[in-house]
Amino acid sequence: METLVLWLLVLAFAGWFARQVASRLRLIAAAPDTLSFDHAGVRIRRFLVDVIGQRTTITGRPLAGLAHAFVFWGFVVFSGYTVAEFLYGLGLVDVVHRTWFVGYRAVLTPFAVAVLGGIVYLLLRRAIARPIGLGDTLSLESVLIALFIASLMVTFLLTWWLDEASAAGRVNWWAHSLVILTFLAVIPSSKHFHLVLSPFTVMLKSLELGTVPNLDFEKEEVGLETVKDLGRKIVLDALTCVECGRCQVNCPAWGAGKALNPKAVVLQTQEALLAGQKDRKLAEIYSEEVLWQCTTCGACEQQCPVGIEHLPLIIGSRRGLVSNGEAPGYLAATYNNLERRANIWGLPSDQRQKFITSAGLETFDPQKHDVLVWLGCAGGYEADFQRSLRSLFDVLRLKQVRFGVLAKERCTGDPAKRTGNEYLYQELATANVEQLKAVAPRTILTSCPHCLKTLGSDYRLVGYQTEVVHSSVFVEKLTRDTVARERPGETVTYHDPCYLGRYAGRVDEPRALLERLGATVREPARTRDNPYCCGAGGGLFFADKEEEHGARISDIRLKQLRETGSGTIVTACPFCSIMLKGAQASALAGSESAGAGDVQIVDLMTFVGGRLAKT
Amino acid sequence: MILVVGEARGGNLNRSSWEAVAAAQQLAGGEPVAVAVLGANVAAAAAELAHAQVAEVIAVENPALDPYTPDGYVVALQQTVEPLDPSIVLLAHTYQTRDYAPTIAARMARALVTDVIRFRVVGEERRFARPMFQGKLTADVVPLGPRPHFVTLQVGAFRADQAARAAQPAPIRSLSVQLEPGAIRQQPEAPFQEARQAVDLSQASRIVSVGRGIKEAANIGLVQRLADALGAELAASRPICDAGWLPMERQVGSSGQTVAPKLYLAVGISGAIQHLVGMKGASTIVAINKDPDAPIFEVADYGVVGDLFEVVPALTAALKE
Repeated sequence: METLVLWLLVLAFAGWFARQVASRLRLIAAAPDTLSFDHAGVRIRRFLVDVIGQRTTITGRPLAGLAHAFVFWGFVVFSGYTVAEFLYGLGLVDVVHRTWFVGYRAVLTPFAVAVLGGIVYLLLRRAIARPIGLGDTLSLESVLIALFIASLMVTFLLTWWLDEASAAGRVNWWAHSLVILTFLAVIPSSKHFHLVLSPFTVMLKSLELGTVPNLDFEKEEVGLETVKDLGRKIVLDALTCVECGRCQVNCPAWGAGKALNPKAVVLQTQEALLAGQKDRKLAEIYSEEVLWQCTTCGACEQQCPVGIEHLPLIIGSRRGLVSNGEAPGYLAATYNNLERRANIWGLPSDQRQKFITSAGLETFDPQKHDVLVWLGCAGGYEADFQRSLRSLFDVLRLKQVRFGVLAKERCTGDPAKRTGNEYLYQELATANVEQLKAVAPRTILTSCPHCLKTLGSDYRLVGYQTEVVHSSVFVEKLTRDTVARERPGETVTYHDPCYLGRYAGRVDEPRALLERLGATVREPARTRDNPYCCGAGGGLFFADKEEEHGARISDIRLKQLRETGSGTIVTACPFCSIMLKGAQASALAGSESAGAGDVQIVDLMTFVGGRLAKT
Repeated sequence: MILVVGEARGGNLNRSSWEAVAAAQQLAGGEPVAVAVLGANVAAAAAELAHAQVAEVIAVENPALDPYTPDGYVVALQQTVEPLDPSIVLLAHTYQTRDYAPTIAARMARALVTDVIRFRVVGEERRFARPMFQGKLTADVVPLGPRPHFVTLQVGAFRADQAARAAQPAPIRSLSVQLEPGAIRQQPEAPFQEARQAVDLSQASRIVSVGRGIKEAANIGLVQRLADALGAELAASRPICDAGWLPMERQVGSSGQTVAPKLYLAVGISGAIQHLVGMKGASTIVAINKDPDAPIFEVADYGVVGDLFEVVPALTAALKE
């Protein structure tokens, strides 16, 4: 009788599970194929480290992450037990009464305790501590799931005390089984579907942060306009979201009180997909305002424990808007500058030439030079950054590095790429690549992390590959023979640029350089590979005051940096410098205190050049 | 004959139509000048144009010409031009003209010279000068091929007040044009009006701009007086507006307004690049700053290295004399 009832229940619940899963799989299958399985080794390692090892889950939030890991590991080791009990209950195979099964249960017991501890912690955290990233309202579904998991562990532990055949034992067995069946039915329609999908999303995630594949204009691709344009990985991502809110709390736009919340963007995608709104416009789902508030800092993508990629979705949607002429007004001016003058400022190229002449730079010649120095829009035209580049040139000359620059340089296309003006980006990229291929430098050295990303990563997709190095890395290597000098009292705070610290992962070299020159480095809130953005990325450098909502991201970052109490803030990106100096100027004008000006904001190369000369 | 095409919107004549009349009179050299004006109801505009010293005014009317559509204007204008066989059709280089002039020139397979700022008559030849490369060069263009040649005139390049007026109004001839249903493919929406800033610095010919060198809000009056003496608009860099010392709409720079005055006087502005890109279009830049290394001096045509609290009052006093 019990067997028959269980059969009926298993068939009913498994059927319900399959039905819901199938409807989701159909959504995934219907999406344009964007999945990539290249570099299988890397992907398998990622599965081992991030799924099995739970690295991302733990590093972002050690306590909650570890609690989750206990639950997850328990889930994995318990799967055999669950299958065995069901096979027995269904009258198919009986392994549960083999002698070794007692041993398996013994092994499971500490796991059960750990799972119980973990889930109780998570439940209390969700219900009582209520971290903001988990949403305004308490998710009853999550509470229910937590109680399910807890009851599974309790019913398991009770098997040590209850006789299997006794009435209490049977009730306990059935309670355990019914909870599992209910769990099964709830999984697909809840955030717990990540149990099924996240191993795939983690493995399928691009190898590099912020990879947004080029549009193929031959195929008349224009970017993402409606729900049906969403690629397979985006659909998979949307259905996988575990709603933990790490993307949200790490997002600088959200932190500044803007409308953008990366978690909401993913969940809105999911909602539209499940509602079958294939033709709904994405800009309508997320609102245009939200799409233009992203600085492309990459924090959301990098912090996501289940491998969701927000940038292809946001930049893809921007492309859809730009293709229809719906970019914000301030970008029209930037695009105009890029089209006409090939630099973001719209300044005539003779100004760059003036700098080249006054800094005594040679035109790159592969016979004569080892390194091509890429100046970038900031290097070509911005006075403060040019000062920093002069320091870099001094160091290079001191160390007898033979270097030259291109006679003519176009913007790498970073702002066009990140704001979704793919056509303009590819135009700039193709022209630059043609020129670079002609002189074929072995090494390109740049002091701009945005140029680093475009030249070093994005240009691979337009068929150009060479070694591209940031000045911090190059100079760190170059000055290893410099004896560190004690310079007591000099403390500096280092601000990691997103495109250097997070994208390129270069967090140690700038600090090593600073310490080598006698500085004591202080770390601000949000540092190293998870910095808080300065607010410049993703085209927001050009945003008008009118386009801004909430606080200014640069003001928040400057405050975080100032809170370390150092007299000097060092950064390694011209745009971070401009943003932070802008925030400082505004803070100074607004404040009455004369002492507010004591913090000095300098580029890393300016800092290095000045001090290296003295050693 | 030279045919001028006037532009009337909602019955009101665009001022640049008079500039085109003036240009036509200067260019005619004995040829008669006629003026056509298109629309649904152009009686008032035609009557106004009839005051000009011209052979006739042609009121080209059809209800389908309001609102403006490129298809409607191309068809109507072709029917107007062909029987007249003018040597030149002159239009003001307005947004509307930019929209349909290339189409009609292409449809009639005639030459089109756009954005003309002046002309010369050399013998039989009419040479039209037009700016190229954002005004860095000026090219002399001679239209070739069968008449008429279409020529559009940069707005403001010719003076409306130089148009010769007649004692007696010119005759007004009404011309009705045929517009087949379906000839007009466009469906215009209500005209888009860009949100107007309370202060439109982009149109100012002189601007005095103040930066953080002013130290405190109370000192702004000093610069305001200089602006008044110069008849200039007052503007500021971002920190000044962020601090609320001047309203946001007076901010110049990448996050404020982009300006291109004839004179830009930067007072106590260091010249961060975000500010520079907002005023790089100024014809003459004058900078007052105590720091000789300030980047503003890189772009300034005239620079005063000195304390603005001394320089500005002295300058204001000198201007008042």
